Amino acid sequence: MAKKPVKTRSKNSKVKKASNSAPSKKVVAGSSKVKRPKARVSTKDRKTLGELVSMADQVVLAARRKRDPHLDIPTRSLSNVKFNRRKRFIEMGKNTNRRLLFNLSQAKSYMQTMLVGSGCKQLIEQGKNTSIRGLYYMLKHTIDGTKENTFEEQSECDPVIEDVEVLLGSLREELHLYADKRGEMVGNLTLEDNGDLIDCARMGSGGYGIPSIVEPNVINFKKCTAKFVLHVEKGTVWQRFNEDKFWKKHNCILTHGAGQPPRGVRRLLNRMHNELNLPIFCLLDNDPWGYYIYSVIKQGSINLAYESQRMAIPKARFIGLRSKDYERCGLSPSVRIDLNENDRKRARQIMGYPWFEHKKAWQKEINLMLKNDFKLEVEALISKDISYVTEQYVPDRLADGDWLD
Amino acid sequence: MAKVKAKRKKNSASTSRVATNGAVRKKKRKTSSNNGSASAASSNTNGASARKRSSRRATAQSMAASQRDISVSEFFAKNRHLLGFDNPRKALLTTIKEAVDNSLDACEEAGILPEIWVHVEATGNNRYKAGVQDNGPGILKKQIPLIFGKLLYGSKFHRLRMSRGQQGIGISAAGMYGVLTTGKPVKISSKTSKRKPIHYYEIQIDTKNNKPEILNGRGNGADIPAGPKGETWMTKHGVEWVSRSGDDPEDTTAKEVVSGTRVTIELEAKYQRGRGSVDEYLEQTAIANPHVTLHYLDPDGGSHHYKRSTETLPDEPKEIKPHPYGVELGRLLALLKATDAGTLSQFLTSSFSRVSPAVAKKICAAAGLKVRSSTRKIGRGEVDRLYEAIQGTKISAPKTDCIAPIGEELLLKGLHQVVPGEFYAAATRPPNVYRGNPFQIEVALAYGGTTAAQRITRETLNELLTETDLRTLRQFLIHTFDGIGSEASERILKEADLGNRLSPGKIAGKQIDALHDAMRNVNIGEGQTMNVLRYANRVPLQFQPAACAITQSILNTNWRPYGLSQSRGSLPSGPVTVMIHMASVWVPFTSESKEAVASYPEIQKELRLGLQAVGRKLGMYLRRRIRVRQEGERRNIFLRYLGEVASAVSEINRANRQDLYDQLLKIATKKTAEADVKLDSRGRPVEEELDLGKNVLIVDPNQVADQLSAK
Repeated sequence: MAKKPVKTRSKNSKVKKASNSAPSKKVVAGSSKVKRPKARVSTKDRKTLGELVSMADQVVLAARRKRDPHLDIPTRSLSNVKFNRRKRFIEMGKNTNRRLLFNLSQAKSYMQTMLVGSGCKQLIEQGKNTSIRGLYYMLKHTIDGTKENTFEEQSECDPVIEDVEVLLGSLREELHLYADKRGEMVGNLTLEDNGDLIDCARMGSGGYGIPSIVEPNVINFKKCTAKFVLHVEKGTVWQRFNEDKFWKKHNCILTHGAGQPPRGVRRLLNRMHNELNLPIFCLLDNDPWGYYIYSVIKQGSINLAYESQRMAIPKARFIGLRSKDYERCGLSPSVRIDLNENDRKRARQIMGYPWFEHKKAWQKEINLMLKNDFKLEVEALISKDISYVTEQYVPDRLADGDWLD
Repeated sequence: MAKVKAKRKKNSASTSRVATNGAVRKKKRKTSSNNGSASAASSNTNGASARKRSSRRATAQSMAASQRDISVSEFFAKNRHLLGFDNPRKALLTTIKEAVDNSLDACEEAGILPEIWVHVEATGNNRYKAGVQDNGPGILKKQIPLIFGKLLYGSKFHRLRMSRGQQGIGISAAGMYGVLTTGKPVKISSKTSKRKPIHYYEIQIDTKNNKPEILNGRGNGADIPAGPKGETWMTKHGVEWVSRSGDDPEDTTAKEVVSGTRVTIELEAKYQRGRGSVDEYLEQTAIANPHVTLHYLDPDGGSHHYKRSTETLPDEPKEIKPHPYGVELGRLLALLKATDAGTLSQFLTSSFSRVSPAVAKKICAAAGLKVRSSTRKIGRGEVDRLYEAIQGTKISAPKTDCIAPIGEELLLKGLHQVVPGEFYAAATRPPNVYRGNPFQIEVALAYGGTTAAQRITRETLNELLTETDLRTLRQFLIHTFDGIGSEASERILKEADLGNRLSPGKIAGKQIDALHDAMRNVNIGEGQTMNVLRYANRVPLQFQPAACAITQSILNTNWRPYGLSQSRGSLPSGPVTVMIHMASVWVPFTSESKEAVASYPEIQKELRLGLQAVGRKLGMYLRRRIRVRQEGERRNIFLRYLGEVASAVSEINRANRQDLYDQLLKIATKKTAEADVKLDSRGRPVEEELDLGKNVLIVDPNQVADQLSAK
């Protein structure tokens, strides 16, 4: 026990530093009100803790009244999202799913929800962050008297974490959780990451790995001379642009999200767009998957509709690849990839989304792809010339203002 | 053709004068007295005729000389496999089986509750002495040699009446086999009442003449007086006789055996436990004959006692006349020839059952014959028409009171006594008729419990391992124990960590321990197939299951709706024992050794209906059991997670974990209790009481375990 206070202090200072750097967050002194303080708890954390405790209190209350304890978890599916035309992003509806403890099919996930809650509480109290995989290992154990584990696989744990997020109305980072980091950035931007000053123009060939949590208490923009952000779909294309020093020539910031961009990348794009007033351009594959990536960046995802507010970038633009590029750029037939039944189905689904439904240009675009009956990847442009995409394709589009909105 | 025949005649004429040569001829009896080599040589001079002659080696005359009567006993001595003496192991079983069947028939006919002693004793050199004694009515002195020393002598062949024995071959054939293989005579002692002496005979069969040959008392047998004097005589001459009923022969307070018969046969045999063994036969006999008490002393000195579970004898089966539908043309002719009746109408009404004068009139009209026509004057063609007419006339089915079924109650009792289980159901079908012969099907089923493999003791296993002649452990397991298939045997061996191919005789003590543990622990029930006990007139059928109508109808029944798994074309699996009894005045066996029932459509139909009747009950029971288990599982699931939930919640808000847990537990109990009385799939409230109707026996599984450990 003697050791603990010492440890605590060092952690406190870290939190203080982080919160100092974020002026919006204030450190609450005298967090001694929490009974067993292991770390000083910020207001934000207090709020999260409060939510957690009230969730637990409901169980106790129900048990005392001999009622069925239950959780009403907002539904995370297409049926429960609404496209807000005014704000131009997806919002979560009011539907909830009731999760009961005394229901055979839900008992286990109820138990898992409570476990995740208790795990997050420990993290917050100790002022530590962990990856969602870390939390999975933290909570995984064999249930007493059985051979069953609380969680068998991480895939069982991840949706439960998302449930807890929507249930408490807290963001993942507020639960002191982060996902694996994915996606890189390079460009004329200087930022402060956890107290370290980082010049994104001097990141060599690797680029700056975008962390999972990019909230102002971790990352602050210091200096930006870039004029726009170019987001590409995956690392290989990003590598091309970086090697050709596209960002230097065109004075921009270059990001990628390794496929569907994780929340960190989307949040950073959102912040750069809103705080630095940079327009966002996306260079994605010409296939349903690419369309959906664009849709997620622009309107927010269906699964995480509750985060659209701080993730969606309604003004993001889609510069390519376009269905017409096969002819426009005179690509060789060998780069075409035939659509399969799944692709066609998905394309029609996307066409039907309310946020695509009334956009004639988009309807035309997707219809053309269906008519072509093939898809194109950005890499297809390499068949013209290795640097065709950086030297011709993107500059032309930007110069012409030829993009989809 | 005519030409050839003529030539043949000529040739045969010449052979009477001139003898033929050739090796074949030499072996046979001399065909003519003047057999000279000179004349043989002269006949060889003509090449063509020599060729003709060599193609014809015998003549009608020479063949006639070797054509003679074949005695029944000679025939069966050569063809012993027809009677079930194909191998030493089966010979022992058949011998005991025939003796026990006869004893039971005799006791039942005399109205005596049967008590039977079976003693099997090894006399060395693959020889065994099998002694079977009953408390039946005994046999008259002059009949004893005929019954035991003459094949095809008996009371059962000529009547239509339900009995175990049919032909009158069995016991005398067993005696003959004994004499043939060991040279020792058959020993018979019989006593007809308390004061009368015991008649004692030592008999051999004269196979040539199918006649008994009495060896003791200068061909007259011996009479042993009742009382102590006789007892000393018996000890002096080594005559075996159990004089007191009950398990313990030394117990002087037990009832004296006042009448009965004992037959002792020494034969070349092999004693082996397991499938198709004497032990199995006696066990199965006890199931189907709950009114019988059996005492069995096996060659290893182990004694087994099956006590009767009922004091009432089965109803006496009645003798009936044949039904017209079951009579073939030839038989009809024979009956007509033999009848004393004057007119056709009289003949029909007196020789057959269910033929009234009115029916007889109908038959005659259909055949275009007069009712009053004399039986003597009916020719071949008319019999033909009569036969057709019989088949075309509607005649009511024969009376079925000639069959004495075991009865559902006794079936349950018998099965419960011998097969441990938790659920029993029985069904007796109403009698039906095949080919004019009444028959009745009874089915009983036992589910659950453990198999022989699981209740085996370490010592018995050791013995079995040393006895067996199978080469691998895997084969040993499959062939020695009922219900162990290849899958189960592999699991057992894996659990015991023994190789499949190990030789059973060579495994060491520790390995036997491991095997024993594995046999007890591995759940054989999973891969276990149904155990089928077949009976015909209360006699277990142990061989040729595949050829038997009973097995076939089990295979053709779909058991899946009744909660058993079954792959196509095979027996259902699960810890199930099914016992099927076919009672009939004439059981249609596929062979003389009485091992399989022939499949007549009527029999198959009754079998199917009987199996379905018990199957439905099993299905109801199993479904309820599954439901009960599901409820238990549901409670379990809640209980399993409650602890975790309580811990997590108290971790978050510092609530008292134990209080919360207790409260949640209460809710869980309430919830599952509600679910217990919940609705079934069709939305009706599920009744707690399971209504399975009559003739079902459900045993508490714990009791089953007790029963087993008691054994």
